[in-house]
Amino acid sequence: MNRRAFLGLERRSPVRPAVPTASIEPYRQPLSRDDALHLLRRATLGPTPVLVEQLTGLRAEEAVDMLLGDPNSEPPVPSPGAWVNQAQEDPDGVDIVTRGQIEATWQNNFTQLQQWWIDLMRTETLPAREKLVLFWSGHFTTEFTYDLGYIPPQVLYRQNLMLRQMRLANFRAFLEEVTLDCAMLEYLGGTLNVAGKPNENYAREMMELYSTGIGWYTEGDVKEAARVLTGWKASLYSDAPAPNGIFNTWFKPSDHDTGAKQYLGYTIPARDQDTNTEYLVRTQEVRRMIEILFQQRPEAIARFIVGKLYRFFVYSNPEGTDSDALAALMNVFIANDFELRPLVRTLLTSEHFFDPANRGVQIKTPAEYVVGLARQLGVQLPNAAAALARMEQDLMDPPDVSGWKGYRTWISTKTIPQRVQYAQQIIATLSDQQAQQLVRSLPNWQSADTFVVELCRLLLPRPLSADRLRYYTDMLLSGAPSYEWASIVNDSQAIGSRLRTLLRAVVKAPDYHLC
Amino acid sequence: MRRRDFLLRTAAALATTSAATHIAGLPVRASSPLLSLPPGVMENDNVLIIIQLFGGNDALNTVIPAENDEYYRIRPTLAIPKNQAWRWSGTDLYLHPALAGSGIYGGGFGGLMDQGRLAIVQDVGYDNPNLSHFRSTDIWLSGINSSDPFVRLNEGWIGRFFARVLPDFPAVLPEHPLCVQIGGTLSLLFQSAKGDVGIALTDPQKFFELGRGATPDEEPLPELDAYAREFNYIRSVAAQADRYSQAVLDAYSRGRTTVDYGNSGLPAQLGMIARLISGGLKTKVYLCYLGGFDTHVQQQEADDVTKGVHPSLLAQLASGVAKFMDDAIAQGFAQRVVGITISEFGRRPYENGSRGTDHGAAGVQFVFGDGSSIRSSRFGTAPNLQELDSNGDLIYQNDYRRLYADILLNWFDATPDDTAAILGDRIAPLNVIKRRSVSSVSPIEPSTDAVTVVPNPVATSGEVVVRLRRLASATVELYNIRGQFVGELFRGLLPEGTSRVALPPLRAGSYLVLLRAGEYSAQATFVVSR
Repeated sequence: MNRRAFLGLERRSPVRPAVPTASIEPYRQPLSRDDALHLLRRATLGPTPVLVEQLTGLRAEEAVDMLLGDPNSEPPVPSPGAWVNQAQEDPDGVDIVTRGQIEATWQNNFTQLQQWWIDLMRTETLPAREKLVLFWSGHFTTEFTYDLGYIPPQVLYRQNLMLRQMRLANFRAFLEEVTLDCAMLEYLGGTLNVAGKPNENYAREMMELYSTGIGWYTEGDVKEAARVLTGWKASLYSDAPAPNGIFNTWFKPSDHDTGAKQYLGYTIPARDQDTNTEYLVRTQEVRRMIEILFQQRPEAIARFIVGKLYRFFVYSNPEGTDSDALAALMNVFIANDFELRPLVRTLLTSEHFFDPANRGVQIKTPAEYVVGLARQLGVQLPNAAAALARMEQDLMDPPDVSGWKGYRTWISTKTIPQRVQYAQQIIATLSDQQAQQLVRSLPNWQSADTFVVELCRLLLPRPLSADRLRYYTDMLLSGAPSYEWASIVNDSQAIGSRLRTLLRAVVKAPDYHLC
Repeated sequence: MRRRDFLLRTAAALATTSAATHIAGLPVRASSPLLSLPPGVMENDNVLIIIQLFGGNDALNTVIPAENDEYYRIRPTLAIPKNQAWRWSGTDLYLHPALAGSGIYGGGFGGLMDQGRLAIVQDVGYDNPNLSHFRSTDIWLSGINSSDPFVRLNEGWIGRFFARVLPDFPAVLPEHPLCVQIGGTLSLLFQSAKGDVGIALTDPQKFFELGRGATPDEEPLPELDAYAREFNYIRSVAAQADRYSQAVLDAYSRGRTTVDYGNSGLPAQLGMIARLISGGLKTKVYLCYLGGFDTHVQQQEADDVTKGVHPSLLAQLASGVAKFMDDAIAQGFAQRVVGITISEFGRRPYENGSRGTDHGAAGVQFVFGDGSSIRSSRFGTAPNLQELDSNGDLIYQNDYRRLYADILLNWFDATPDDTAAILGDRIAPLNVIKRRSVSSVSPIEPSTDAVTVVPNPVATSGEVVVRLRRLASATVELYNIRGQFVGELFRGLLPEGTSRVALPPLRAGSYLVLLRAGEYSAQATFVVSR
C-alpha cells in the first residue's frame, strides 16, 4: 500500500496559523467531517459517529440550529424519580435521628439526580442541550452541600430544569428567574434577607459573579440591592408554609423593606402597604433593579458574559489577539438586547470559532472527558457522579459560589491519574461485540492504518504525526501482519482486546484531555 | 476484574516495548538529573506550612477585644463575654475559648502561647480592601495588591519565588516536589509563569497507585501555539504525578506520627504533613485548607458561645495545630517547621441581623513554630473599633506582605532584591521569624539593640543609631508602620561600633527603621511628633 495515500486522509495542513481570524462572520463552507467534529467537541459532551455523519455537509448555521434546539417546543426530559415531588421535614426542627434519616434521603436522591443528568449528557443527540446547561450550572452556582447544611435535591432538580428552559433566553429575564429561584434564595441567604436585617450575600454575587463582574458597583449598591431583595421565601419542607405550592418561591410582605432605595444612581420609590404585594414588588423592584443594572452597565455585563461563554466554548485563556472577536461578540449581545440565542449562535457559527488555531486548545472538563468517552464508545457510565467528584467536578455541588475555576485547574497531579484510571475502567466495560461494532461504524475501517487514522480523528482533536499513528497501529496489530486486519476484526475477541489496549493508551495521551 | 486489568496492562506494555524498538524517540521516559539548587535557597531544610481559612475568618471573635466596651456594643448577640475568653498572661490579649482550648476542646492556642510557640499578628490587610472572597483570596495568594480589579493575578508568591530562584525549572525537576497541596485542584499560590511548582494530593497511597506510570508516551511539542502549550502543560503535570508518586509514598511509608490526628478535617491534613516530613520528604511548602468561615448567619449558638459553626472551626484549627506541634517536638523536627494562617479578610465589626457577620477588611494571622524559630508574641495592638473605614470595617495595621517578606528573607534565605521583586515592593519583614543559623561572623548581634532611633519620640530632629560588631556593607531603610517602604536613609560601608544616620524631616506618625547587613537585619519602631 502506498503510505502517502492514507496519510492523505489526515487533516494535515503543514503550517497552522497560531493567530486565529478575528472575524465573527458566519463560516461559509459546508462543514467538513473535521469541522463537524470540532463543532460537536465544543457544543456537546462529545462527538458520536452518528452525529458526525448528520452534521457533515451542512452549513454551520443549519448545524448549530439543530444543536441548539428550541427550549419552548421540546418535550420534557424524563423525571429522575418520584422523589422529586416528595418533601421532607425541615431537619432543623426535628430530633437527631430523624434529621439523619432526612439527610440520608437527600444524599441518596442527590446521587440519583447527578446520575440522571450524566445520563442525559451521555445519551442526548439533537438538540444538544446539556453543554449549555452545564455552562449555566457553573455560572449560576448552587451547592448541594454548603456551610449551613443541604439544599434539598428537589429544588436543585427544578433549578436544573429552569437552566435548561432559560439556556438561550434573554439574559436579563434569566437573571430575574435566578434571583427568585428557590434553591438560590436558600443558598445565598435570600430567605434570611429581611427588612432591618439585610443579608448582602446574594446582592453582591448577583453583580460580582452573575452579571457585571467585580468592580462595577459600590458597597452602597450592594447594600441597597439587598434591601430591594428583602422578603422572599422558599418552600422547601413539608412542614413549612407554601402559599405558592411546595418547592416554589413566595413573598412575605412584612419582611420586605418598603423604603426607597438608591441603586446605581436611580431611585426605586418607597411603597405603602397596599402596593407591598408579590406581583408589584417583583415587577417594580426586583425587575426594575435588574433593568437599571442592564441600562447602567451594559458593556460590563456583555464583557463578563461574553468572556465567560468564550472561555467555555472557544478557549479558556484568550489572548490579546482574541480581543477583536470578543468585542464584536459583545456588540452582538448588546445589539440584540441581551438575547442569548443570537450571541451563542454567532459564536458557534463564526469563522473565528472554526479557525484551525482554535481547534484542540480547550482543556476538557471532567464531564467532557468522561461522558465524551462513553458517548464515543457507546457504553454506560457506572458510578460516574462519584468519579467526577474525584476529578473535582461534583455536579450541582461546586466548591464555592464562584463555581469551578476551569481551564488548567482541571489538571492536577491528583486529577490526571483519576481521569485516566476511570477512563480505563470505562474502556474495560467495552465488550468484544461493542468493540467490533465500533470499528465497523467508522469510515475506512477496512485497513488497520486507515482505521487508526479515523479512530484518532474521532477521539483526538488534532491530526497525529506519522510516527504516532504507526505506534498506535503497531499496538493495535500487536505483531500481526497488516493483511491479517480483516480476520482480526472478524474475530470479536481479538479485536476486543486489541482495541481496548489501544484505547487505554489513547486516553493517557495529553491530547485526549484536549478538545 | 483485577486480573483482566493486569492482563490488559501487560498487553499494552508489550506493545509499547515492541514499538519502541523501531520508532526513534518513542516512548519517552526522560529522566531528569537531580536538581542542584542554588546555595541559600535550599541548603537549609526549613519547611513552611500555610493553612488557608477560606470564607473570611471573623478576627474579632477569634482574638477578643475583651477590654473594649465598643466591642460589646456592636456585637450584642455575638460578643464573647470577657469572663469566658482566655487571657494571655495578664495582657489585654484574649482568645476565643474554643481557640484557646479550654473546656471540652482540650489543648489549643492558649497552650501554644504559654509554651512560646505561637505569634499573633493583629489587623493584617492591604489598601482598598476588596470584599470579594475570590478577588481578595487572589490578592492574598498572589502577594500582589492590585487596586485595579481587572488586572489578572496569575501567579502565587510562592510560585514566583521558586520560579525566580530555580533558573532551570521546569526543565529540571527536583527529586522531591517543591510544594504539596493537600487537595484536588492546585492553588494559585503554587502557580508561576514557568508552570506549577507544586503538586496536589489527598491520599499518598492512592497518589502512588494512580500516579505510577502516568507519564504520557508522547514527547513535548515545540511551543508554537496555544495547542502545544496546553499539550505540554498536561504532559508535565502527568509526568510530575508519575515522578513524585514514589517519593511521596516512600516518605509516607517511612514516616510516622506520635499523636492521634483523627481521620478528617484540618487535623488529619496536618497529620499527613507530619508523616511526610517525618518520612524525609524534602518538600519546602505545604498548603492545607479549612473552609466554612463565611459566617453570614448564626455563626455561633445563641446560648453557648463555645458552640456553633465558628467556634468549631476555631477548635479544629487550634487542636490541629497543637497536635502538630506536639508531634513535631516529639519527633524532633519542630525547629524546621513554621506555619502560618491566611484568610482573605476579617469580618465587619458590626454584627448583621442574622446573628452573623458580613465581609470585612483587616484580619488576624497566626504563626506557629518552635521557640527557636519564631518570636512568640503579639504583633500590633488590639483593633481600634472607634476609627473604621467608610464601609465600617477595620483599618489594617500590618501590610499582609510583612509575614511573606519575613519568610522569604529569614526562613528561605531569599535576598532582599528577590524579596522585593516577588512582592512587588520593598516590604519590612514582620520580624517574627528567627533566623535559625545566625553565624558568629554576623555583623549584627542578635537580641541586642543593633538599631535604635534617638530621641524617641522625635520632635524636631532625630538620628538612627547603628551598632555593628564589625565593618560591613549595610543599608538603613525607612518604612511606615504598616511595613511599606518610604525611603533609603543610607547605603554603604559602616564601621565596627556605633554609627549615626540623620533622619530627614518626617510627617508626624509612627515609623519603622530597618538595618540590613549582609543577609541579617534588625528593626526598630519610632514615633515622630511635631
